[in-house]
Amino acid sequence: MEAVVGAETGSQNRNGEMDVSGAVKIPERLLRREQERQEEVERRREAMESQSVTEEKVDYFSSTFGAERAAIEALLSGVWDADSSRAAQLLEEVSSRTQQLRKFLNDSMAFLTKYECRQAQAALQRLQSSLDEKRQQVLPKKKFNFKARSAAATRTKGVPLPEKAGPLESKPDAKGGADVGIQVVDGGGNSCGFSSAHAQVLTKDPEDIHQRDVLLTHLTGCTVKLLGTPATLHIKDVRDSEVLCGPVSGSVFVDRCSGCTLAFPCQQLRTHNTTDTRVYLHVTSRAIVEDCSGVSFAPFSWSYEGMDAHFEASGLDRGKNNWDKVDDFNWLAADTPSPNWSIIPEAERRTTWD
Amino acid sequence: MGLLTILKKMKRKEREMRLLMLGLDNAGKTTIMKKFNGEDVSTISPTLGFNIKTLEHRGFKLNIWDVGGQKSLRSYWRNYFESTDGLVWVVDSADKLRLEDCRRELSALLLEERLAGATLLVFANKQDLPGALSKDAIREALALDDIKTHHWCIIGCSAMTGENLLTGVDWLLDDIAAQIFTAD
Ligand SMILES: Nc1nc2c(ncn2[C@@H]2O[C@H](COP(=O)(O)OP(=O)(O)OP(=O)(O)O)[C@@H](O)[C@H]2O)c(=O)[nH]1
Ligand SMILES: [Mg+2]
Repeated sequence: MEAVVGAETGSQNRNGEMDVSGAVKIPERLLRREQERQEEVERRREAMESQSVTEEKVDYFSSTFGAERAAIEALLSGVWDADSSRAAQLLEEVSSRTQQLRKFLNDSMAFLTKYECRQAQAALQRLQSSLDEKRQQVLPKKKFNFKARSAAATRTKGVPLPEKAGPLESKPDAKGGADVGIQVVDGGGNSCGFSSAHAQVLTKDPEDIHQRDVLLTHLTGCTVKLLGTPATLHIKDVRDSEVLCGPVSGSVFVDRCSGCTLAFPCQQLRTHNTTDTRVYLHVTSRAIVEDCSGVSFAPFSWSYEGMDAHFEASGLDRGKNNWDKVDDFNWLAADTPSPNWSIIPEAERRTTWD
Repeated sequence: MGLLTILKKMKRKEREMRLLMLGLDNAGKTTIMKKFNGEDVSTISPTLGFNIKTLEHRGFKLNIWDVGGQKSLRSYWRNYFESTDGLVWVVDSADKLRLEDCRRELSALLLEERLAGATLLVFANKQDLPGALSKDAIREALALDDIKTHHWCIIGCSAMTGENLLTGVDWLLDDIAAQIFTAD
């Protein structure tokens, strides 16, 4: 690296704007996009004022939403009779159409009443649950190796882990195949985390996760405590669970979660396709949401023995917390707040953790 | 003389190259760019739009475009294709669950006419993570050996430690320069 830094002279950094000839299209396009969004917002506001238009829009929303939902349900029920590769295909389609439906709802929130929003969200939630269920039933379960570990290296609090909740180790001979939930690719790389567990208390000690990439997938009704400093953390397909983690040096990546409570310090938080989830957050750069709804934030307040030293080791700036500055990638209008995330009112914030 | 040749001659005179960095969100594009330039990488936010950096390296003037990789931004990638000399595709080697997405996005890019002349460098990033797949595993997962339309190379690197960033960029510059000279 030294060589680069030495050789480089006069670097200039322009962020998001461009004055080089021949490329002027670009900021224009971005501007136009922003303008279009603002116009859209304006249009929605006008629509709100005109009751008849609103009713029309609500009608359109209800019938479109209802029809698409029925179509997805029909698809889902066809999964049973299909062979496994066809089933995987169907599940893929159901998953992507459910996502689109969520997007449609997000885009329509401006003119729906709170009640209508909640109804639609609940319907989506049910769809997502039956999708997850079907996935678990239909697709061959991935087998995870149970690595023999010394008693000293593992301390399991609460319930001992049953076979399925073992540490995630990708088997070298397990190839992607028809499993749309978990894709395992060979070629080395030892992962660390928990997968496919229901109603368990799952704990990792500092030495198990220190500067590692940790993955939590397909958990329901679990409490997960990661008492250390991972380099990065991925939380995927986790429902109705609580995930508490020590300082993460890099990013936390949350995808397809619902009904969860999460708490951790990190450098970046990236939240996708997630609903009805509370995040107690310390983030030194930025949190973002994309294709989410009902995600709410409060400052990180969990703590555990040894956390101060872990903060130090993680390299995170403890004095800098941007927990309430959240970018919604589906909502770029600067003047109206995104309907997809909110701040947890102080009175409703969790204060006790153990 | 075709327009392309004229453009290529001009660039050779000015020794200026345009590099486009793309990849899924969270791959480490912005971190690579800043680390390469010796800047602080602890304050980087997910990119909402794009960054551009101009720097001199080995007597070349590099215009590096780093475009955000979130799903909602990917349809805007096309706005940045024009006159790209080198495409840098960045992969989070530890993100096994999104390798298929990663393969699909890359193979779509390689069909783009406006990127037809570009050299492809794949950075198998985050090699410092214990769970990272090797560059050979990434090469297989992305089916790089099937690419017949572009010069390409995959390099394992870490934006955190800076390991191999220089090796990658140097390979890319050498390949682009060789193409410019043979175009005469
Ligand atoms: N351990 C490790 N973490 C890395 C590495 N490169 C990047 N990161 C981390 O990965 C996260 C994402 O990095 P970014 O540079 O923001 O990713 P990006 O590709 O620019 O993402 P978008 O802007 O959303 O497209 C950050 O938390 C980085 O610190 C690496 O080589 N090793
Ligand atoms: Mg970026």
